[in-house]
Amino acid sequence: MSKQDNHVLLIEDNPGDADLIRLRLVEGKPNLDVACANRLSDGLESLAQQPPAVVLLDLNLPDSRGAETFRRVLNKAPGVPVVVLSGQDDEDLALKAVHQGVQDYLVKGSFDSKQLARAMRYAVERQGLLTSLDMSRKQQLQFKDQFLSHVSHELRTPLTSIHQFVSLLLDGLSGPLSGEQREHLQTILRSANQLRSMINDLLDASRAESGKTRIEPRCIVLGEVVRTAVAMMQASAREKRIGLEMGLDNRIPLVYADPERVLQVLLNLIHNAIKFTPVEGSVMVKVCRVEADPEFAYISVTDTGRGISPEARPLIFERMYQDPAAVDDSRKGLGLGLYIARELVHLHGGRIWVESQVGHGTILTFTMPLFSLPKLLTPIIIHQGKLREAISLVVVELAPHGTPGMGNWFEIRKRCLEMLQQCILPDKDVVLPSLGSAGPGETYLIVACADESGTTVLMQRIREQLERYRELQGVASFSISAKAVPLPWPQADTPAVKLVEETADRITEMCMAAMARKSMFDTTTVLAENQNPTQKEQ
Amino acid sequence: MEKAKILIVDDDPDLRRALNLRLRASHFETAYATDGFSAISMAQKERPDLIILDVGLPAGDGFVVLERLQQNAALSVIPVIVLTARDPQATRDKIMRAGAIAYFQKPADNNELMSTIRTVLSPAWPGTVAAS
Repeated sequence: MSKQDNHVLLIEDNPGDADLIRLRLVEGKPNLDVACANRLSDGLESLAQQPPAVVLLDLNLPDSRGAETFRRVLNKAPGVPVVVLSGQDDEDLALKAVHQGVQDYLVKGSFDSKQLARAMRYAVERQGLLTSLDMSRKQQLQFKDQFLSHVSHELRTPLTSIHQFVSLLLDGLSGPLSGEQREHLQTILRSANQLRSMINDLLDASRAESGKTRIEPRCIVLGEVVRTAVAMMQASAREKRIGLEMGLDNRIPLVYADPERVLQVLLNLIHNAIKFTPVEGSVMVKVCRVEADPEFAYISVTDTGRGISPEARPLIFERMYQDPAAVDDSRKGLGLGLYIARELVHLHGGRIWVESQVGHGTILTFTMPLFSLPKLLTPIIIHQGKLREAISLVVVELAPHGTPGMGNWFEIRKRCLEMLQQCILPDKDVVLPSLGSAGPGETYLIVACADESGTTVLMQRIREQLERYRELQGVASFSISAKAVPLPWPQADTPAVKLVEETADRITEMCMAAMARKSMFDTTTVLAENQNPTQKEQ
Repeated sequence: MEKAKILIVDDDPDLRRALNLRLRASHFETAYATDGFSAISMAQKERPDLIILDVGLPAGDGFVVLERLQQNAALSVIPVIVLTARDPQATRDKIMRAGAIAYFQKPADNNELMSTIRTVLSPAWPGTVAAS
């Protein structure tokens, strides 16, 4: 028997109860090693230092009461069995604890050493079973992921062959084709493309299910993504003589989202709309803002299809759901598109829903968060209700020498960003998401909560990091500059929100100027040539 | 003007044949390698202007090939387009980090692939190419 198997942690604040329970424990098993804690904080600490075989837990402690107590213990040591010690009058609470993951409960004053020993033994056994069940579930999920990934890889190889040779024929590279031959080849190509998207959907759905989908949000112009999606779907709309149009509200500000994922959602929705709309119908993609929900952009896809019945509406986002009323032609696909779309929208913090009128058409709408510099900057600008004393904007610019060889540029930009993230203090400074750059270089913007000397230290740290980055030398040069952000005069009656807004506006203005390479940073303030990089506003 | 030469590295004979037909039709010269080891010796012998590289290869996978190319000053300047069946979410970042300039998942859109090849081979090519 290992030492841990003998170790029991008793968390109980009443000394009388604690002594009694300890006595019962040792009666049953003399060699037991019992540690006692009379506060939850001490108990949690002991739990972390030396994980026991069982925790005996009183729920009402000086520093925690009721449900809070067992939740914190379960949270701290998810694999350790817990037996709750309840009073006569709080059995309901003890039962609730069992529902939420505690292994058992005993009512104080009504158990002997045998019952205690048995409760503890069963708690250990049950916990062991649960742990192994959980492990095998995880293994199964992992196996499924690996299996799908392997299968999809293997399916792609012959599919590539079909795709390549059909396109060779279609492009006339193996001689001229008759009209009928061309038509047949186009059917093959369409089917091959459909297979390809099914394989992609299968992988995406499996990833979504195991919570492995990653998104990389950036500041994006939604209109551009919508235009791309509409252009990509135009050909299949034309095949059915469906008018595919878009209505863009040009006043939509930047959204904070992963452009590839937004495109994927849009393609999915437009694809569905075209699929379920009869010949010569119409599909409209719209982007707008809604007054009642000012922090999101609304993107909707409206079709003139046959609509979705009220019973089917709640089901369409579920995996593998296929409308049973759909005509044969529409039943192609795995029924994963909307499930994946919903998962992707949720990962961005948006919503997706459907409105439909049978016989008239369907509107699918999803929302994406607008990029808000104030929201991002609030924790930087305001600390414990007070405006920070000094804020500066640090600009790091990379300028490639001529043409970077071997495409290292992709890697370099990414590495530089990682380095900058390491240089900053996460709770005080922030590296702004890329706003895109005009021209070949890259500009990084850092809002730092630092005064002149703090900014100099930060710039020095960045400089050292970038100089140490060997691959950068010979490929690009960098310059670092900084400027103090003028802060609004804090008056007693100005609300904090207003101060944040004003400051965020100034920072936005400065960022825009920096991105546009306007002369906000005249050359003399560039660190490379100047010892005094931060300039205080007069 | 001399024809640009493209080295195709792939262990699938069908893919090599199809790609070869397409590239020759677009007036490129081609050369092959069927595994990681011969990819390096062919690159050394043929000095291609561009390499199209698979990742899952016998005798040294795509990562090994990229690493070897990088180690050789003369070969490190040759741009590499990766064309693989592997899942981009698991592989794309790693392969770009290893020095590729574009990533295409099989089956790739031929128009996109050809336009990337032309961009990379054009004298004004600036750096990384956006590709799916």
